[in-house]
Amino acid sequence: MTTKLNAGATAQTFDITHGVQRTRLDNGLTLLIKEIHGKPLVSSIIWYRVGSRNEELGQTGKSHFLEHMLFKGTDRYVKGEIDLLTLQNGGANNAFTDTDYTAYYFNFAADRWQVALEIEANRMTHNAFVLEEYESEKEVVEEELRIGLDSPWGALDQTVWAAAYHQHPYHNPVIGWLEDLESATRDEMEAYYRQWYHPRNATLVIVGDINTEQVQTRVQELFGAIPAGPEPKPMTLREQAQRGERRLIVKKQTEVERLQIAWHAPEVMHADSYPLQLLATLLSTGKTSRLYQRLEERDQSVTHQSVEYSDRIDPTLFVIRAEIKPSHQTAAVERAIYEEIDRLQQAPVSAEELQRAKQLIKARFVLSHEQVANQAITLGYYETINRYEYLSDFFLRIGEVSAADIQRAVQKYFVEDRRTVGYLVNDGAKQQ
Amino acid sequence: MSAPTLNIERIELPNGLVVLLSENHAIPAVSINAVVKTGERFVTDEMAGLGSLAGELLDDGTASLTAQQIASAIESTGGALVTAGGYATTGVSVTLLSSDLELGLQLTADLLRHPTFPEDRVALAISKRLAEIQAKQDEPRIVAAEAFNETVFAGTPQHRPLIGYEERLAKITRADLLAYHQRFFAPNNTILAIAGDISAAEVANKVRELFGDWERDPGLNIPAVPHPRRQREPITRFITKDKEQVNIFLGHLGIARSNPDYYVVRVLDTILGDSPGFTSRIPRILRDEQGLAYTTYCHTARSAGLDPGRFVAYIGTSPENLTKAVAGLREQIELITATAPSNDEVATAKAYLTGSFVFEFETNAQIAAFLVSAEIYQLGFDYPQRFPEEINRVTAEDVLRVAREHIAPGNLTLAVVGPVDDEGKLLRSAKSE
Repeated sequence: MTTKLNAGATAQTFDITHGVQRTRLDNGLTLLIKEIHGKPLVSSIIWYRVGSRNEELGQTGKSHFLEHMLFKGTDRYVKGEIDLLTLQNGGANNAFTDTDYTAYYFNFAADRWQVALEIEANRMTHNAFVLEEYESEKEVVEEELRIGLDSPWGALDQTVWAAAYHQHPYHNPVIGWLEDLESATRDEMEAYYRQWYHPRNATLVIVGDINTEQVQTRVQELFGAIPAGPEPKPMTLREQAQRGERRLIVKKQTEVERLQIAWHAPEVMHADSYPLQLLATLLSTGKTSRLYQRLEERDQSVTHQSVEYSDRIDPTLFVIRAEIKPSHQTAAVERAIYEEIDRLQQAPVSAEELQRAKQLIKARFVLSHEQVANQAITLGYYETINRYEYLSDFFLRIGEVSAADIQRAVQKYFVEDRRTVGYLVNDGAKQQ
Repeated sequence: MSAPTLNIERIELPNGLVVLLSENHAIPAVSINAVVKTGERFVTDEMAGLGSLAGELLDDGTASLTAQQIASAIESTGGALVTAGGYATTGVSVTLLSSDLELGLQLTADLLRHPTFPEDRVALAISKRLAEIQAKQDEPRIVAAEAFNETVFAGTPQHRPLIGYEERLAKITRADLLAYHQRFFAPNNTILAIAGDISAAEVANKVRELFGDWERDPGLNIPAVPHPRRQREPITRFITKDKEQVNIFLGHLGIARSNPDYYVVRVLDTILGDSPGFTSRIPRILRDEQGLAYTTYCHTARSAGLDPGRFVAYIGTSPENLTKAVAGLREQIELITATAPSNDEVATAKAYLTGSFVFEFETNAQIAAFLVSAEIYQLGFDYPQRFPEEINRVTAEDVLRVAREHIAPGNLTLAVVGPVDDEGKLLRSAKSE
């Protein structure tokens, strides 16, 4: 190349952890701040280290339902007022719950973002739980659950996770089981809130066009007086090693079969998670990936395939999904996937393939963090399930993975006895 | 809140290609958005799916590169390249690290100018689509949306799903695709937007080198699109599916982006059914107060394009709530056409629209998309400054006038998919699994 098309000022130097300041208030609240001054925007997200992972028998869905209730009024904000303040200030807010966390975000212009801090400080301890609102919102959550059941992948995914985990709460869907939702009471919900929502169990992340010292001062003013709260109860359940393949069938009104295969795989802290991240990429990211090439190009047996390997606190699942073309056999697609796994166990991937997977992970990471909100999400997510410093050496660790490391990981984790295989098939009813 | 400021450079090459450049050095990345002004709107019902298929197949082989070589080139940089054919636009979008921009531009030029639509790739894409058409039958919301569109846009190409129909797709040939490409893909029908960590002057030179010898089509002939008419009577469709929820769409034909009422409609949408959280009337009342749904909304402006879009309200709810939910939507639609909103509601909606506008320019891809729309809809590059002014002019009386003009509560299409018979009677009471 003779001319340089890019300005190059910041090229290749993107480091999401650069400039992050972590402080801890006396009451245990963790605060992460990162200044980014390119655009007049601020994203603030509070993370509570509680999710479906912390839910006990008969109590499933509490974390997610609680997330809904935090928009239903506090001692200071009447129901709807949080959304109204967001609207009037031209912002956006929402919240999300998963197995390991519950998070609430606000995105605002930089001249008005502090309303978010006031809301979060207030609703950390002063949520109202008005009975009437609780009952009405229960209906909304049940509708959300039904949307999941109406989705073919939702139904299959839920059944596979439930089969792969017997003891560990990853067995339960994040939204909960319908019967648990129906029987949940307002008082139980408030007790759950008191148990988990306090500074010691929270991380507040603020990213954008702000001044770190001013923000630290303001956070101290608003959150500093909140009592520390009880020590969060540790979740000690461990899934026993799976001994033998588990197979299941889910029936729905459908002309299109779906396949989901899940292997037990290690947690975020585990050294083997790096080769498995690379494996996920070279199996399924892009049209050069192995499963795309095998199933979509060579066999032409599926419309889509995908891989999911998400970082979690506890050992998780490495999941492969495929949507089968009507003229093909799901069993044949399953066999083809195992053949691809066998190939990876038999021979190391080529240097070129490995390099491409590394570059894909690196570039996609940069490309997906243009928005300050996404930076705030990634920083808070890793601080919650591990520590945000995980991200500092992430690319170094990915860069160090060898083809032999990947081969070893596939041999170790992708064994028949540790997998769960689900088919979604027609229930016999004809489509209209 | 100041409006976002963008440095925009517009160049028109001698062959008619419009090049739009915007420098943004926040991260070392670039987005390329190359848009040919064609799509399903120029395709007849007989050839339904041709335009979207042509767009999808742009990266499936060119005169000098195979599909595999194209994928390998882009993926070895870690970047992403997507080609697609939509209703009014077709093209290539690329997001990559700025150090790989030259490759991105080379591929974009090659894909737009020299696609070959190889026989085997055409067959593969069609067979995949046929399966996808069956798979989408499993998504009740999509089934309901398609039934709704079919009625609301009757007589125009917008009544069809972009993906096409099973029986007609199978008849599309490589020759059809080449002819379509030949007819519509010309520099004088194309916009190339590049936003991100670029040096605009150098990129302009590179674009001239890669696109300059693409020959203008002096006979470019853009066909007329049938003009849709808003229905003059209520139409109801019930489709039976064994599902937990009923999916309900209610509405009729909407407005084009060029409609002078567009900005008032944005305020109207924000008040009636399209705002964050559950602040607008329909989500606030039907979800937040009555607990009927997880998802419910109503809007017109989102689908306003070169052709009129749709005024649409949606709710997904348990079957036993069907009557109540439809009545709730109707009540709010009638109310907005009967009485002017309060000044508070209007002021809040305006504060939201002007205050959140800055978020539409956060990423390179958003900026590139804005550049293309600004060109297509002739918004002018001062649009970021003008938008807040347009919104701030809107009054409560405007909202009432425009609601009466563009919403006819008595003549709506209702499409329902779920456990109902074809007259809308419940096939069972709520089922729990």
